[in-house]
Amino acid sequence: MSTSKSNVHAHKAEIFCKDESRVDWHSKALWTLREKRDRAAGSIPEWEQLRQIGSEMKLHTLTHLTEYLEEFEQNCIKNNIKVHWAKDGAEHNRIVHEILAKHHVKKVVKSKSMLTEECHMNPYLEERGIEVIDTDLGERIIQLAEMPPSHIVVPAIHMKKEEVGDLFHEKLGTNAGASDPLYLTRAARQHLREKFLSADAAMTGVNMAIADQGAVVVCTNEGNADMGANLPKLQLHSMGIDKVVPNLESAAVILRTLARNATGQPITTYSSFYRGPQDGGEMHVIIVDNGRTDMLKDKILAEALKCIRCGGCLNTCPVYRRSGGHSYNYTIPGPIGIAVGAQHDDTNSIAWACTLCGSCSYVCPTKVPLDKIIHHHRRLKAEAGKLPYGKSNYMPLVGKFMASETALNCSMGIARMALKILPGSLLKPFSGAWGKYRELPVAPNSSFEAWFKKNRG
Amino acid sequence: MSSKQHILNALKSAAMAPHAMPTIDVAPRIDDLVGQFEANLITVAGTLHREGGLVNLQTTVDEHIAQGMQVISMVEGISGNREVSATAHELRDIDYAVIPGDCGVAENGAIWVNTKNLGHRVTPFICENLLLVIEAKSIVANMHQATSLMTLAPGEFGTFIAGPSKTADIEQALVVGAHGACSLNVYLT
Repeated sequence: MSTSKSNVHAHKAEIFCKDESRVDWHSKALWTLREKRDRAAGSIPEWEQLRQIGSEMKLHTLTHLTEYLEEFEQNCIKNNIKVHWAKDGAEHNRIVHEILAKHHVKKVVKSKSMLTEECHMNPYLEERGIEVIDTDLGERIIQLAEMPPSHIVVPAIHMKKEEVGDLFHEKLGTNAGASDPLYLTRAARQHLREKFLSADAAMTGVNMAIADQGAVVVCTNEGNADMGANLPKLQLHSMGIDKVVPNLESAAVILRTLARNATGQPITTYSSFYRGPQDGGEMHVIIVDNGRTDMLKDKILAEALKCIRCGGCLNTCPVYRRSGGHSYNYTIPGPIGIAVGAQHDDTNSIAWACTLCGSCSYVCPTKVPLDKIIHHHRRLKAEAGKLPYGKSNYMPLVGKFMASETALNCSMGIARMALKILPGSLLKPFSGAWGKYRELPVAPNSSFEAWFKKNRG
Repeated sequence: MSSKQHILNALKSAAMAPHAMPTIDVAPRIDDLVGQFEANLITVAGTLHREGGLVNLQTTVDEHIAQGMQVISMVEGISGNREVSATAHELRDIDYAVIPGDCGVAENGAIWVNTKNLGHRVTPFICENLLLVIEAKSIVANMHQATSLMTLAPGEFGTFIAGPSKTADIEQALVVGAHGACSLNVYLT
């Protein structure tokens, strides 16, 4: 990815922000999810207790990953599940292709998996003559529109129903001008049913991998993972190493918080446990690292792996809601996207797509300290000499300036005077991007130091 | 070196100190389990039939059959007009599937169903409408209790079903009936 200005977060956000009414609409749609989440969380008195248990349970698992991954593998093998290990995305894609090629698969139905997005699996398989059909409605919409997802739970949240209507008219032959969500959903149901019934294999992501059972859990509202996995004889499940949990007891904790925090539902419509293939079928699980063990080497970054991908932090983030998911230069947008993606961001800008307000950490069901991690990423970028767009030049100067009492007092005196006597139109250009949407402040009569000496000293 | 060994070796340089597994001891709310279950089932767009049990259900099934619907029943004592087919794909025209649930969960309206009661695994998803049967006394307070009671033998598949399939992927408008069943009716016995 080039480091040209066009790719940095602020510029991409600027493009999104050109249509102010769309920004308001986008922000409101996500805030609605946040409000639903608050109602769902508030409706169970043990919510904070569940967050605490969730956090500790994930910490426990992450600090005992070797044992749990091996236990999971052994139990899978006992259950007639084939287990594969992949160091990175490329190896994951190769393994998937080998399995599919061996079975002469031409058509795969896939249910939502951010991991396969992270590995860029679809284009890899398509180049090799395998058709991959995303079956989650939101995913199917963006697949037809040839766009990446803009949200991890509601991938087409950035599209208006009229735009979906136009897309379906062109691709699925629905009536021109139709935009009724019920009509469009029914059309997608018919279209995808044919795909489910004619697919040679199914792929899903994994919400949890239960070590002592050798089972994977997949949660959807639409039932697409289950329609997929339970029809063809071949089923594949891709999971990050961070998805493993010790037992059913711990899976129950996540099932209680996942949907409540994502959409405000008490639980997803389907929470399915696969503890082996169907009769005469084959079940494969691919365990993927792809940078996760690197994150575990850093105590602060490691906590990002507690994430259960509910998307709650995106819905509450004031920056995400007003800059859109496509401005982040990473498959996963929003606070968690920065936490797990900033090290891959060549523009070095997404760690600054954050006000450090901490709202994300506050709503997180497993207490991932997102603001702390994002702040840490800024430090890592600075230490690596990778501060974005000029920050590396002027920040050391700002540091020196702030450290000198004389320079600071003197210039603040001048600034107060200037704010009082000079017209705003003359001063505003000096405030740069800050002043674009803000009025200049009213100058106080004296410095805080002088005020303190006089009144409290 | 295998990729498995590579990953396990890399885990040796993980930085966090070992953390103990927390005790999961959450107080259940046990007042009016059926009432809680019904309220939550409604929020997930399902309907509960408290009275009449299997007799009521058979009457409903008979009415559907009289209207020319295809009904498959996996519940003992309820007869439909379709048998378990040789392949899962042949279930594509099923209008109603009647399936027994092992337990209901009061806190979220979900019902645990297990492979052994499904015929084909895809039965509860491929049918247009789903009719679940549970015993009132099988309703537990929360997911902690449900996972301690549910059975999932090696090789099996099971699922918690909370309402009919649904989506809100087009402008956040809730549409009931995505890929799975378009309606869910639960009969208490």
